[in-house]
Amino acid sequence: MSGRNKRMIRIPTIALASLLLVVSLGAGAQSPGPAAPAGNAVRGKVSFFKVGCYQCHGGEAQGSPYSTAPRLGPAALPFAAFSLFTRKPRLQMPPYSPEILSDADLADIYAYVTSRAAPVALDKLPQ
Amino acid sequence: MSQPDEVSKGRRSFLLQAAATGAATAAAGAAAAAQAPPPSQGGGDAGASSAAGPSVSEVRSEGRPGSDYMVDVLKFLGFEYICANPGSSFRGLHESIINYGGNSKPELITCMHEESSVAMAHGYFKAEGKPLPVMAHGTVGIQHASMAVYNAWCDRVPVYLILGNTLDATMRQPGVEWVHSVQDAAAMVRDYTKWDDSPVSLQHFGESAVRAYKMAMTPPSGPVVLVADTELQEQPIHSERPLVIPKLTPTSPPQAESGAVTELAKLLVEAEQPLFIADRLARTPAGLERLVELAELLQAGVVSTIPNLMPPVGAGRMNFPTRHPLNQTFRVNAAIAAADVVVGLEISNFFGATHIFVDQVERTTRPAIKPDAKLITLNSTDLIQKSNYQDFQRYTAVNMALTGDGEATLPSLIEAVRRLLTDQRKSAIERRGKALAEASATARERFRVDAAHAWDASPISTARLAAEIWEQIRKEDWSLVSGGLSGWPMRLWDFTKHYQHLGVSGGSGIGYGAPAAIGGALANRKYGRLSVNIQNDGDLMYAPGVLWTAAHHKIPVLTIMNNNRAYHEEMMHIQRMSNRRNRGVDRAHIGNEIDNPGIDYAKLAQSMGWYAEGPISNPRDIGPALKRAIAVVKRGEPAMVDVMVQPR
Repeated sequence: MSGRNKRMIRIPTIALASLLLVVSLGAGAQSPGPAAPAGNAVRGKVSFFKVGCYQCHGGEAQGSPYSTAPRLGPAALPFAAFSLFTRKPRLQMPPYSPEILSDADLADIYAYVTSRAAPVALDKLPQ
Repeated sequence: MSQPDEVSKGRRSFLLQAAATGAATAAAGAAAAAQAPPPSQGGGDAGASSAAGPSVSEVRSEGRPGSDYMVDVLKFLGFEYICANPGSSFRGLHESIINYGGNSKPELITCMHEESSVAMAHGYFKAEGKPLPVMAHGTVGIQHASMAVYNAWCDRVPVYLILGNTLDATMRQPGVEWVHSVQDAAAMVRDYTKWDDSPVSLQHFGESAVRAYKMAMTPPSGPVVLVADTELQEQPIHSERPLVIPKLTPTSPPQAESGAVTELAKLLVEAEQPLFIADRLARTPAGLERLVELAELLQAGVVSTIPNLMPPVGAGRMNFPTRHPLNQTFRVNAAIAAADVVVGLEISNFFGATHIFVDQVERTTRPAIKPDAKLITLNSTDLIQKSNYQDFQRYTAVNMALTGDGEATLPSLIEAVRRLLTDQRKSAIERRGKALAEASATARERFRVDAAHAWDASPISTARLAAEIWEQIRKEDWSLVSGGLSGWPMRLWDFTKHYQHLGVSGGSGIGYGAPAAIGGALANRKYGRLSVNIQNDGDLMYAPGVLWTAAHHKIPVLTIMNNNRAYHEEMMHIQRMSNRRNRGVDRAHIGNEIDNPGIDYAKLAQSMGWYAEGPISNPRDIGPALKRAIAVVKRGEPAMVDVMVQPR
């Protein structure tokens, strides 16, 4: 981490809690809805880095407590919610309009984040 | 213009007169150097006011330069080290330190930038509880140092600055000495220092030096400036009366008014969900112990770092054990939202801690607390506010504002709470404590799950790096002298001791991390602690010469490079601006990346005498590299492991 800290950033409690809840429920707990459009995870990785998702969410979409960016994968929001939040974020995340991130690119990014590796067993972490 | 000889005579006469009319009273006593040094804040007895010893001490003065007397004063004040990048405006004092003073107490630490000198003093104080003086030019030196002074001001750290200057224009050598002279050397940092003086006699210097120490150390602490005139340094002491060093009596820290303390205690005892938010509370180890005592007495939650603010609130000092069941830091939003009484302890950004700010096109702010929650502050910062620099943060409307040093007030608050607690309340708060313990345990477990993601990623995840470091140091007597690593050490490591976290810079002025870490490691050296510095790459490049200082003075410190090759905080701001303007974010790296070429920090450190490895991009290589580096540090030398990590 580098650079001057010029702005306070804080994610509103309720919204963050809601988002974290959905994320923590995981893909298996998603409510029925439209299937995610087919995306290409390889292209998605390129876009994920090109448009700066990795800055807050980490290169593996693992999230970060520093920027309070939630983990995006491998268990992810349903695509509809993922898309809505990207286009019209209510929190600190800057909005991504279709002009700067197409629906196809977004689908690719979704494919990338949902294909991330599962977490290791907790006993690998030191106490 | 006077001729030099005439001026010199006049100068000698002036010195004679100044000595003859000095304010201090001469009395028999031991030499200054033989007096007991003043207590440190770290010793926990800074408030003691009856130190044994004579009220004044004589110093033999005939035939010696004035700077010898200045060294007597420095020795009297108990300074162990003095940092400086050499400068002609304090050459007299420099010579006296190394020859007359034997380069011991204080020992001169060679620095390569005045900003490094001050930041070293900053880190040293937070580990040791005593100031470390810095010598610098009164012009270009303090200009270099000024950002670090601002950090110290914001962080309430008593940096002790001695600035060389030639006030008498007729004594200046034409050329550089003119451009290195100034009418008022302290002027440029007066907005963010606590006190300064420009003595015109040696006796004046001695008295102001002692006063400066008192001013710096009295809470709220802060930087002070003492100007050492070159003529005073270099001219022989002409004194018909012996110069004296007045007794140093530490000033008791101010305590909050007793009635207000009782009222606060009543509120806390009656509260359903009291919460403490502690920032620069624990000046000494006793501050941490007292906060634990108070929290356990009330079974109240404590937040000591609010991680989702940038900079984090509450990261000023190590106030509360990270794994204590009442530590609610890792569920801070829920804890604040549930609280009915929120007490800010030595916190300047109380507004930020209790409100939600959203940086979208329209910036919005709303309370994070319940509408009927009571906000209370206990701090000493209200006693010293200045206007120009805005480190005092947004005004917070509170229900009670107690003015006094937080740590010094805690014992009376604890006693007041103890008196008011009934058996009935005790059983109620016991249930509260159990619930808080369960909630904090759940939060900690959640963070372990978070850390388990991206475990094998390359570049390496910040969580993995924190875990790898912890595995290597957890059985040592360690001290995190600088570095946050996205808050992962606070989540994964077991912080229990005051010196295990030296806190943040205060002013968020970059360039603090490396020198502050080495200053902290200098203080830790005599205790045999393993100093750990998680070093941001951009921060190091402000003044990397401090690496040489560590090698030259054999300051053992384990430095792990948090090498993410960009000013990522700024990149996020550019990303925000680009998105807001609908222009795309694929060019946000321009002006923000530290790449092409990437900097080889291991080579940089090796060039200055360090053991260094890296860059490491495979997480499996971190542990063995850390083992090798720690072995070097245990031999008393600095060592670096450069690790390629993710931005966050």
